[in-house]
Amino acid sequence: MKVTGLLAAFAVIAVIGLLPTILGGQWIGIFISTTCFAFAAMGAGFMYSRLGMVSLAQVALMGLGGWVTLRLNHATDLPFEVNLLGGAVATAVLGMLLALPALRMRGLYLALVTLMVAGGLEVVFTAFQFPNGGAGFWGVGTSFSAPMRRPTIAPDDANYLRYCLAVLVLGFLLIEAHRRSAPGRAWALIRRSEAAALASGVNVTFYKTWAFGLSGLLAGAGGGLLAASLGLLDAATFRASESVLLFALVIVGGARFWYGAILTAFLYRVAPGLLNTWGVDADLALVFFGAALLHAVMTAPDGIAGQINDLLGKVRKEQTRDRA
Amino acid sequence: MKRTTLLSAGTLLASMMASGAFADTICGANTGEAATGAPIKVGGIHGNAAPGDFSSSTTAANAYFDCVNANGGINGRPIQYLVENDQWNPELAAQAAAKLLKDENVVAIVGNGSFVEMAVNAPTYKEQNIMAMASACAVSECFESSNIVSTNQGPLSSTVGAAQYMVEELAAQSIVCIGLAIPNVGNWSCGAMEEYMTSKGLTGASVLLNPASPDVNSSLLEAVASGSDTILVNLPAGLAIAFMKAAEEQGMVDSYKWASSTPLYDQSVPSAVGSAWDGKMYINAELTPWDKGGPDATNWLAVLDAHAPDAPRDTFSQSGFLSAKFFVDTLLKMDPAQLDDRAAVTTAIKAISGYTSDLMCGPYYVGEADRHMPNHAGTMVVVKNGGFETVRDCYEYDSPYFAPIFENEKALGLR
Repeated sequence: MKVTGLLAAFAVIAVIGLLPTILGGQWIGIFISTTCFAFAAMGAGFMYSRLGMVSLAQVALMGLGGWVTLRLNHATDLPFEVNLLGGAVATAVLGMLLALPALRMRGLYLALVTLMVAGGLEVVFTAFQFPNGGAGFWGVGTSFSAPMRRPTIAPDDANYLRYCLAVLVLGFLLIEAHRRSAPGRAWALIRRSEAAALASGVNVTFYKTWAFGLSGLLAGAGGGLLAASLGLLDAATFRASESVLLFALVIVGGARFWYGAILTAFLYRVAPGLLNTWGVDADLALVFFGAALLHAVMTAPDGIAGQINDLLGKVRKEQTRDRA
Repeated sequence: MKRTTLLSAGTLLASMMASGAFADTICGANTGEAATGAPIKVGGIHGNAAPGDFSSSTTAANAYFDCVNANGGINGRPIQYLVENDQWNPELAAQAAAKLLKDENVVAIVGNGSFVEMAVNAPTYKEQNIMAMASACAVSECFESSNIVSTNQGPLSSTVGAAQYMVEELAAQSIVCIGLAIPNVGNWSCGAMEEYMTSKGLTGASVLLNPASPDVNSSLLEAVASGSDTILVNLPAGLAIAFMKAAEEQGMVDSYKWASSTPLYDQSVPSAVGSAWDGKMYINAELTPWDKGGPDATNWLAVLDAHAPDAPRDTFSQSGFLSAKFFVDTLLKMDPAQLDDRAAVTTAIKAISGYTSDLMCGPYYVGEADRHMPNHAGTMVVVKNGGFETVRDCYEYDSPYFAPIFENEKALGLR
């Protein structure tokens, strides 16, 4: 087990170190976006797989994280990390607040509430736009955008991709730490039966709210990282329809496994990037996504990640049989 | 005598036929021989997705480069023009610039047309020391940046110019500007129009549409609610036509004075909007009207006929052609050994001063400055008899916004 863990850590470090060196400028940009959206996918995936809750507001919450990070950047001289944390925590707090009225709902109704939240945020982003260094609360100036600071250790795109990947690993570890401790056990019980969880003394309200907060924290971090990657944000990126699309891809990618979030983000950003590179209209990706969703719903409920897991399981079994 | 007349008539006919056959394009060194050397890489980025298509600038630049390549190129070397579409998406805009600047190592960016690209990439252009000779700029960053210079005027100048005409000639007292809620576009340009109106003791207002789901009917009602006597449409052509159709359906064409910034100056617009708008819609043209004649205006149409016959004939097309022409003129004057050196090309572009063209009202220049807006004088036209009629020839716009630009021109000895 220890050896596997060490190997995994080595593989992660190798990917973070080598990936930016083998990619060109355009693909570094695509992978930065992919990494940022992996945060949102991770949050949506863990809420769905651990609690059976559907959140259709993940991309909109990213926008909120990006908004706060940009606002702090233009209002203060604080380092990027502090602004990013501010954006992530603010999104987590909003996530928790939104969870409170939604807690009595489940399934479709909960999904609809989160979708309404995404729609509401879309209206706010479109009407007030994202801060660009202007005056006042909304911080929107009509002239040249003020610079958005990046981490001092990652001013260029290649190092910024490494930075984003490292933060993504922290995000995965945070979820894993939750899964292995009290919240993970509580979530497992709640998923089985809320009544049983209540009877066992689990504070259902607290742990559900906590899950919303954690998912908001991750989405907010993704939004903040995206803001620093581009220097500015646009409302079109965070439309409610994008949140729905991302959730559909979470199902396709596979919510039960950690690498499902990476597969989701790959589908969401790398697939259109590939089509663009090949000179094909990137909107065609939506057609493929629709077909992939049908496939997932009908034959692969655990998504591509589930299929990979099954495949690995079979290989392992065969190896054990061969050894025997 | 008779024979001489016949001979001259024959010569004239022959020369007319010849000019028809060769379409009279004049491109670069104009040698008539195709360039075969190692290509010089040049980039271009346009936006083509909802809410508008700005690709006519890069299409026209591409047509001119094709023509130059067929006529000796740059000292025998063809220009390889690499065009990307940002689809109005900041992420794609940044990726397009990274591809062109870092992966393809282009020496300059020419013919850009977008709402988004310049805002995202202005810092990158500065950092990479590359010049963008844009053509269909719409955001403030296009005009307030050290490494971008645009041949078009952008919505701010065009909107202020249209408002100025409406106030001076048609006695407009209050104008409402219909723009897009895109950062540093709608609020920037419509805001400057409001400032202009305030400076004249008149009133201005703005209505900004959501570019993702523009609702022309509700924005029309908002415009009516502002109580203005003049409606100034500051939208991409397709959306502006939809807005005008909505106004026509509501029977508002005769109730207001109507004006527009440059996107409506497109050959297809008069027939698209119909006879109800005849003599009603006043449009600011950022470059000179295409029927005005002149060597560049004629050459622009000839180049499009020869190399992009299906391309739209609009202001952004004129602008893309002109940016490409100024760029080629600059390269032809450079030391051939430095053509692959981005820094040398940037220096050469920044040294441009006092270029003139019949397509522009004033001189074109770049200079070493933190803002560039060489084109800030235009023409007013009105939709008339299925076409356009010039109602005011080249005039300079009156706004405090232009003060620093005039200072730059004084420093370059152009004013």
